[in-house]
Amino acid sequence: MIEVKNLSYAYGKKQILNDMSFGIAKGDFCAIMGPNGCGKTTLLKCIANLLPVKANTVFINGKDSTSYTIKMLARQIAFVPQHTPQDFEFSAFETVQMGRNPYQTHLQNESQKDWDIVEECMKQTNTWHLRFAPLSEMSGGEKQRVLLARALAQQTPIMLLDEPLSNLDISHQFEIIKLLRNISLNEKKTILLIVHDLNMAMRYCQSLLLLHNRNIVYHGDINKGLTPQNIKDYFGVDAIKENINNQPQIIYK
Amino acid sequence: MKANRLQSKRIGLAILTLLMLVAVLLSLMVGVSHFTIGEIFSIIGQCFSAEGETSVADTVFWNLRMPRVVLCLLVGAALSVCGASYQSIFRNPLTDPYILGISSGASLGAAISILMGWESTLVGIGATALATALLTVLLIYKIASIGNRMHTSTLLLTGVCFTFLITAVISFLMVLNQDKMERIIFWTMGSFATASWSDVVAVAPCVVVGICVAIYYSKDLNLLLVGSETAKSLGVDVEKIKKHLLFFTTLMVAFAVSSCGVIGFVGLIVPHCIRLVVGPDNRLVIPYSIFVGGTFLLVCDTLARTVLQPAELPVGSITALAGAPMFIYLLYKSKKQL
Repeated sequence: MIEVKNLSYAYGKKQILNDMSFGIAKGDFCAIMGPNGCGKTTLLKCIANLLPVKANTVFINGKDSTSYTIKMLARQIAFVPQHTPQDFEFSAFETVQMGRNPYQTHLQNESQKDWDIVEECMKQTNTWHLRFAPLSEMSGGEKQRVLLARALAQQTPIMLLDEPLSNLDISHQFEIIKLLRNISLNEKKTILLIVHDLNMAMRYCQSLLLLHNRNIVYHGDINKGLTPQNIKDYFGVDAIKENINNQPQIIYK
Repeated sequence: MKANRLQSKRIGLAILTLLMLVAVLLSLMVGVSHFTIGEIFSIIGQCFSAEGETSVADTVFWNLRMPRVVLCLLVGAALSVCGASYQSIFRNPLTDPYILGISSGASLGAAISILMGWESTLVGIGATALATALLTVLLIYKIASIGNRMHTSTLLLTGVCFTFLITAVISFLMVLNQDKMERIIFWTMGSFATASWSDVVAVAPCVVVGICVAIYYSKDLNLLLVGSETAKSLGVDVEKIKKHLLFFTTLMVAFAVSSCGVIGFVGLIVPHCIRLVVGPDNRLVIPYSIFVGGTFLLVCDTLARTVLQPAELPVGSITALAGAPMFIYLLYKSKKQL
């Protein structure tokens, strides 16, 4: 589904990603982890073509991502950013409706089909009752669900999320990640998300892409990847792994 | 919901058109020489019957008042649509062509063209004004987009600095060429007193094309409001659209300024008031801005020429009386974000 070959990226002279190669299979629910500043967000933006990547480094569906038009790529990849500006007060409904833009021409208004899709996506994320409320008046969890609904309305096979769990309390973190896992299981979407909570990721995600020092140091099954040794090596924290209620848990020393 | 919105858009546009026509009629009536409604219709009727000699009243009506009203509508619509577009492009409710210094940039071009003797046609002035206004936009855009997010304070300060700089250059030019001072002052104050049909003919095509471009991209402008990266991930060709819009809006500003000088705050108040009523959707804000902006500037200009009759106030002072308090209010409201 996603194929990255020898991807490097630098902001000016500062090298962020150094010669990365990996592939993500269709339907994978993959956590991108790593210490702050290791290039997680940059990697996500490179895959989404939001940063100018070189040709023949990122392949979506076997096709070079730079050969897609912006609109065609928006039908393949939905991106949920970490921060959404709210200087102007669009309602939740208007926000989700924007997800239909890749399927419309400039002057075209929403068709009945678009309205049905928007309604369905909002119901799926439990935000339909909030449809008239402006985004700026919502709690962090509600806002994240609305943005998720917008990404769903794009009807893309791939979803990329930049720290969807940050700034949420523990119950909302569970709510969002369960929702994402259900989407990945039921609709066979390929989902990549940046997470910081090791236990949360280990419990719900399938695979792990561990970044350290501009490189990928581990890619594979998440349970095998999050070993005390790796945590010590790449995060600098001493931890042990215990089975509690048949669920592996990381406990920090 | 869908049918509802389309219907309310039609009703809204109908009401605004009606209001505009009432304002046009009132504005045609009042002034140094008064016309009654009956007289207006008989003058317009005469025009079609093409008989009878032209009286002084006819000349006043056709050559002074009518072009002035039409030019007010065009400039008001242009400045409001530009304001709405700039606010979306810079993602900041506090911007308009005046505050960003783009109007001043255009007035510098107009001043230069007078000094060089290119003022024989409005197109000559307009082209020079367009060049300097585009340069101003480009510099402001580059400076304000340093770093990730465009900060309100950076943007406003850049605009203020450019206005100061350009005012200084214009003063300098005026002192060097005292014989042409009066004509240059005209561009820094803003007035419709010299409006003529040739102004209308030069301004109208630019305004019509500019407004069409803004309407064409109005949905994309909505997406720009939620951030450039998000817009791109939703299928908007951000760089291309920003370039097109900045060019055509600046074209409108340059020709508006060439015809009537610098008029502030229209582009700030009009889109803001519309947003208070219909929300931030540019597919409504931009079409409504055309009518509300035209009507607003026409009312301001009518006040400017009737309040202290026969003396005339600069129309910019009337728009500033309404706009400056509004700007302060907006600044107060958004001070948390500064």
